[in-house]
Amino acid sequence: MTRELLIFDKGYNAVKNNFTPEMDIDRVDFDNILPKFLQRNEEINLPDVPEFEIVRHYVNLAKKNYGVDSGIYPLGSCTMKYNPRINEITARLPGFLNIHPLQEENEGAIELIYNLGQQLCEICGMDAFTLNPAAGAQGELTGILIIKKFFEMKGIEKDKIIVPDSAHGTNPATSVMAGFSIIEIKSDENGELPLDQLEFAMKGGDVAGLMLTNPNTVGVFDRNIDKITEIVHKYGGLCYYDGANLNPIMGIVKPGEMGFDIIHLNLHKTFSTPHGGGGPGAGPVGVKKDLIKYLPCPQVIKIEKGLACVENEGSSIGRIRSFWGNFGVLVKAYTYILALGNNGIKRAAQNAVLNANYIRTQIQHKYPIPYNRINMHEFLVDAHLPNGVNSEDVAKGLLDRGIHAPTIYFPLIIHEAMLIEPTETENKRELDKFIKALLEIYEEAEKNPGHLKNGPYNTDIGRLDATLAARRPHLRD
Amino acid sequence: MDYVPHDEETIRIMLEKIGVENLDDLYADIPNNLKIKTLNLPEGLPESDLLKNLTELSQKNHIYHTSFLGAGSYYHYIPSLVDSIISQSQFFTSYTPYQAEISQGMLQSIYEYQSAISRITEMDVTNASMYDCASALAEAATMAFFITKKRKVLLIEGIHPEYIETVQTYCWGRSIETEIIPLDELDNKITDEIAGVLIQSPNFFGDIEDVNQIANIVHSKSNKCLLIQAMSDPTCLGQLKPPGKSDVDIFVSEGVGMHPSFGGPNLGILSVKKKYMRKMPGRLIGLTKELYGEKEGYVLTLQAREQHIRREKALSNICSNQALIMIASLVYLISLGKTGLKDVAMQNFQKANHVKQALSQISGYKILNTKPTYNEFIVKCPNIDKLIKKCKDENILPPLRLSHYFPNRKDEILICVTEINSKEDIIKFIHIAQEAAQ
Repeated sequence: MTRELLIFDKGYNAVKNNFTPEMDIDRVDFDNILPKFLQRNEEINLPDVPEFEIVRHYVNLAKKNYGVDSGIYPLGSCTMKYNPRINEITARLPGFLNIHPLQEENEGAIELIYNLGQQLCEICGMDAFTLNPAAGAQGELTGILIIKKFFEMKGIEKDKIIVPDSAHGTNPATSVMAGFSIIEIKSDENGELPLDQLEFAMKGGDVAGLMLTNPNTVGVFDRNIDKITEIVHKYGGLCYYDGANLNPIMGIVKPGEMGFDIIHLNLHKTFSTPHGGGGPGAGPVGVKKDLIKYLPCPQVIKIEKGLACVENEGSSIGRIRSFWGNFGVLVKAYTYILALGNNGIKRAAQNAVLNANYIRTQIQHKYPIPYNRINMHEFLVDAHLPNGVNSEDVAKGLLDRGIHAPTIYFPLIIHEAMLIEPTETENKRELDKFIKALLEIYEEAEKNPGHLKNGPYNTDIGRLDATLAARRPHLRD
Repeated sequence: MDYVPHDEETIRIMLEKIGVENLDDLYADIPNNLKIKTLNLPEGLPESDLLKNLTELSQKNHIYHTSFLGAGSYYHYIPSLVDSIISQSQFFTSYTPYQAEISQGMLQSIYEYQSAISRITEMDVTNASMYDCASALAEAATMAFFITKKRKVLLIEGIHPEYIETVQTYCWGRSIETEIIPLDELDNKITDEIAGVLIQSPNFFGDIEDVNQIANIVHSKSNKCLLIQAMSDPTCLGQLKPPGKSDVDIFVSEGVGMHPSFGGPNLGILSVKKKYMRKMPGRLIGLTKELYGEKEGYVLTLQAREQHIRREKALSNICSNQALIMIASLVYLISLGKTGLKDVAMQNFQKANHVKQALSQISGYKILNTKPTYNEFIVKCPNIDKLIKKCKDENILPPLRLSHYFPNRKDEILICVTEINSKEDIIKFIHIAQEAAQ
């Protein structure tokens, strides 16, 4: 068997990189500082590697990775748009990068947090935002804990959350983290939430709220949205908006005006901050007026004299992580919103929708599309291709053509789900290349399915055995 | 300014192919009464203005010449190659490596991170990061509940106040009871009804605990209860006995290799004993081989623990983590190597000790730690306001007033000394302390 060398294989016996400052004070006997029994006895099992070898090792690894900069990255529900380079510069300005979270002279940082919160309020139609959550999932937890606190403070017992079957897996997982159990409602033939079933569930009286993504995970905008939120409110529930799919509607419609009480956003999706190979992201949470007092601490608020930082004043859900969240990510999102401004926000949304519909209409004669109508930023394909070729095979066929695959096997309501989201930053040439690749793969499924099933061939490595990895976990060297 | 590439003509052609007349037609599903009339945001800015605007905003924050402040966020020297490597665009513009065949770079790097942290901590298994130490500790408490099915955890005094509050928030969500106790009550408090004991070492006040002895107490009193150790600054592991040698069940820590950046992003390290591997939250990368070939490669694995498969039965909702910061932490640790890591830890021990000894010689100052300390310690001061003002006058970021977290402790400070504090900085600081005492 062959495998690439690890960085640990590139060590030497005696290399000293000169990174740390020289020790410029007199040492005392270490045993007088730390008794022997608390000291590390064995040598640290870490190599000493010369600087140049480290750089070469990771630059070569980076080459074996596909990013948005490599080409279209149509990963549904992830909004893999271009990451503007100015954002990387602004987040690294010394006045942002080198400031300590507990220093008092932090006026610029606090102002940025406040301003970004205000911008997000305007875009989403909410009254206040916390920017503390580190990722979308932590934003969801924050939002659901706010629902829990809301009812707890009122002394009302409600222990269920409604989640459609098309929801992101985080929605049910999060609800349980806040002590709720789940009522799952099956989407109708249009991919929308059936109102009669919603009303039936709400009538039970024990439902605290509804978690909904709109446009939903099949890529369509639920046309009954105002009726949905009305029904939930009628029975005393709260409406939670999963903002993973905000990109196609920003500047067009505001979740707050659809009737949502709480919303989380993914700044790394809608607001262009890089996905970083899986983070860091940021998951701000917005709420309507009545829920502001439950937001996690600390918060920045406006007072007469300017801005102030406030801690828990009794009704907050508490702290959900240390300090102010992934501040560097906030700087990037703020830069992006300032760049786009009024018109740019709307234009980004419109073109995300344009690109997705363009792809859909150019492949619909070959690929089954279960909810085939004007979609938003993404659409769902049921990739049952001829001769048993499935969505994983299509994905690998795309990799062979130098293109990243869409999200596959999500949402769970379609067996061979393939969720395609091109984003607004792809040009027509790139979209056409993607369309052509999908049509070619279809043809290959008809003529030479075996080839597709054993792919990919042109990648650094062939199809990997995921079952083996799980059966015999090998998680470190 | 926006980043949309199409010109009007292209948009027209695409609309025609879709079969609609204009962009608004794409929004026919949205009820008209909901569509917004105006968005109250300023016009977009060109890049040159953005840079000016953000630079001005950043300059409203003061950057100090040097710092004696830590308390959960530490200044260390970060080698230049760290930022250079995390700025490789194929790392930072990629996402979670779902398509393993074109993501081997990220996957191998994360595997190396999992390996490097496991090597340094001597713990069996490390996951692909949590958000920060606070939330990692909270998830560790939840893990203890999943493993033992018991709904109570004990927190030993001395854990960072922000970590304690985070644990309380998460535990409230899952109806897990929390109790904060002094270390000397541990013996009496452990029963088989306790899911886990949470301790920080070095703790918030700087004290290094005898974790091995605490593990003995925990494991001899109960065969269920887990010992969970938290750490704010893992550079100490260059010289300090690692958690894996102290029978710790779950280890969590803040990461290394990032600038403070007002507290984030950094990352949460989470390492466990092998027997708890399948109860870990978060992503894990594993080694496997090709289905139809002989090459070895890496994939996301043990996903049956996670939300996208298990939904409401998942161990946590975490998915995106702090991947790029993992690479930063990894490159930082590899850059230092065993030699550099030992050196950094030794310098922190020695320099902090130097300041500690010097202050203890000045009349009016009293070191309050009775246990060994790493790069932080607490001091009772004769005139705290004067000390802090003088630090600022000399462009030194002053130590933390303990009253920030403990309102009653008005005359105590938490001082942090690291390798970045030069001899001159230290002399100046001691001089300020002398002056402030007069």
